[in-house]
Amino acid sequence: MRAVRLLVWAAGGALCAGMTLALGPVDQPDVIKHRAVVYFTLSFIAITIGVIVWDRRPDSRTGLLLTALPFVEVISDGKWIFWNHAFPVTLALACTVLYVPLFAHLVLSYPTGRLTTRLDRSFVLFTYGFAAVYALPYLLVFDTRAPHDRFVYECFDCALPVTHVASHDINGLTDALDWTLLPLALVFLALLGRKLVRASPGGRRVVLPLSIAAFLAVAQFIAHIALNGSPDTTWKDTSWFWINSLVVIGIPVSLGLGLLWGRTARSAVADLVVDLERTPPVGVRDALARTLRDPSLELALWLPDRGTYVDSHGRPLELPTPGPERAVTVIGEAEAPLAAFVHDPALLERPGLLEAAAAAARLALENERLQAELRAQLAELRASRARIVQAGDEERRRLERNLHDGAQQRLLGLGLALQLVRVELGPHANGASELLTEAEEELRAALDDLRDLARGIHPSILTDQGLAAALRSLAERSTVPVSIGAVTEDRLGDPIEAAAYFIVSESLANVAKHAHATTIRVSVTRRDENAVVDIDDNGVGGADPACGSGLRGLSDRVQALDGTLRVESPSGGGTHIHAEIPCGS
Amino acid sequence: MPTTALIVDDHPSFRRFARRLLEAADYVVVGDAEDGAAAIASVRALRPDVVLLDVLLPDMTGLDVAKELAVLSERPLVVLTSSRTASDLGSLVRTDDASGFIAKRDLTVAALAGLVGGT
Repeated sequence: MRAVRLLVWAAGGALCAGMTLALGPVDQPDVIKHRAVVYFTLSFIAITIGVIVWDRRPDSRTGLLLTALPFVEVISDGKWIFWNHAFPVTLALACTVLYVPLFAHLVLSYPTGRLTTRLDRSFVLFTYGFAAVYALPYLLVFDTRAPHDRFVYECFDCALPVTHVASHDINGLTDALDWTLLPLALVFLALLGRKLVRASPGGRRVVLPLSIAAFLAVAQFIAHIALNGSPDTTWKDTSWFWINSLVVIGIPVSLGLGLLWGRTARSAVADLVVDLERTPPVGVRDALARTLRDPSLELALWLPDRGTYVDSHGRPLELPTPGPERAVTVIGEAEAPLAAFVHDPALLERPGLLEAAAAAARLALENERLQAELRAQLAELRASRARIVQAGDEERRRLERNLHDGAQQRLLGLGLALQLVRVELGPHANGASELLTEAEEELRAALDDLRDLARGIHPSILTDQGLAAALRSLAERSTVPVSIGAVTEDRLGDPIEAAAYFIVSESLANVAKHAHATTIRVSVTRRDENAVVDIDDNGVGGADPACGSGLRGLSDRVQALDGTLRVESPSGGGTHIHAEIPCGS
Repeated sequence: MPTTALIVDDHPSFRRFARRLLEAADYVVVGDAEDGAAAIASVRALRPDVVLLDVLLPDMTGLDVAKELAVLSERPLVVLTSSRTASDLGSLVRTDDASGFIAKRDLTVAALAGLVGGT
């Protein structure tokens, strides 16, 4: 197909060059000949642009029409250059108004090359018919031997059927035929106006340059008819000549401009595709903001499972009500959106760009959405883990209180009752007294067990008096001497205090069991927004957090609060446990 | 003249047993109270010699009650007690305004007498 286009281009060049060369012997003033050179050169440039557009968009009829338009105009000029050759004159006459349907077809079908409405199709079809019929009177009625001053072409020995019907007023005929073009011009303008009104803002941007050129061309044409100009005045009158030349070159140039504008928008989107390839997923918003030139752009990702929009971090997002401040463009289908852009309303003027950007970013957006979903799930998981730990703590507190208020009180009451029994029995109790002593010892043991159990479940002192008091109480009971260093007096919140307490109590128990240490140092401090727990012993080291559920359970507890727990226990070098728990706000 | 006593505790079973235990040891238990406010009112009204005072009351701590009682013109001897041990109670057990502390599990007439003297 490219060969065909090259051939057409070469033919156009040959035609224009041939016309220019053939002018030499024609009996015309020099100024006309010079203008003809300019005119044919411009026509060749127009043909060249047409072939380029045709080559770039072979699937659109636009290029073909754009090439054909200057072609037929040049051919129709042959009637006065080859004025005494039957074939070129007949061909030229047949082509006289072929530019009308080609022009209408080109402009109304631009930029897709397809006529979209039935009215446009009917009109263009009609103009093709009109052009064919229009040529007939010329071919039939034109009497080449009749004296007239309007046409320079006089084919005295034409072989082709230029029928010699006598007509003494050929000028009247051409005038009449010209006037028939007027209603066509008006209908065309109406259709062009309708096309502009109906176009989307983005589409209008592309169509506008050609439409302006077409409008000017038709205005010039109407003015020409109205001022009773004849075809050759365009060559004789300086102003008309230049206006006409401007029209010839204006159509392809404006069309090319429109395509160029469309291309700029497309190449911005092409840059976006490259950007998206490079940027990390969270950069999708930035890449889009750059492409759309809207730094205020916000990206809302739709999570179908939740039926809500979230930001890139998975945090729920409320779309603003569209207004003069912000506009919302939903990407994807209305029922199943993919995302939404919240942007500057000015962008609505370029829906083509928005659509293209959305299409280019679709995959990245899909990816972004999955990540946002994951982040939202992760955040939820983290929150639910923290809630579970907290609920566990509350349950333990409740259990401890139940043990304390229930079983323990009953046992204490029992102890008092046993004392009363001893009083009642008096000094002569004999064997009963021993039994009583035994029962009291048993009771004491039961109370000890119960107290240890209750403490293990939840240290009441922690709730009642805070971490410092609770740690001091732990230190008092420890079998290995504990020195409590700095302990923050701030209340850190139940979950954090509980975590810190259990880290210390579990560590003290481990040291007592395994470390053979002689001293332990404990401190709980605030560093920035973190509570920092440090426990050092001078024992044998070698503790492995992977073994034993105690440390691992603590690690889980700390992680549930977004904190970290580190155990350093080189063999023979003591053990250092370091925990950092964010205190939030 | 017998020593009069007031028992302050939020557990009724403890009040009941403690009353009988003290009475068996010839204390005259002039009343009991289940919270701090009632305890202070009862002390003002009944003027007991000894108050057996639970540390953890529903409305206030035993320390707070003891502090209020300490400013009375005829201040009673206050013995703090609790079902928890001293190490569990930490700073809640201070004897600035009280004669001493006896954990409930260690509460005997002898231990009480050791703190308040008398009977």
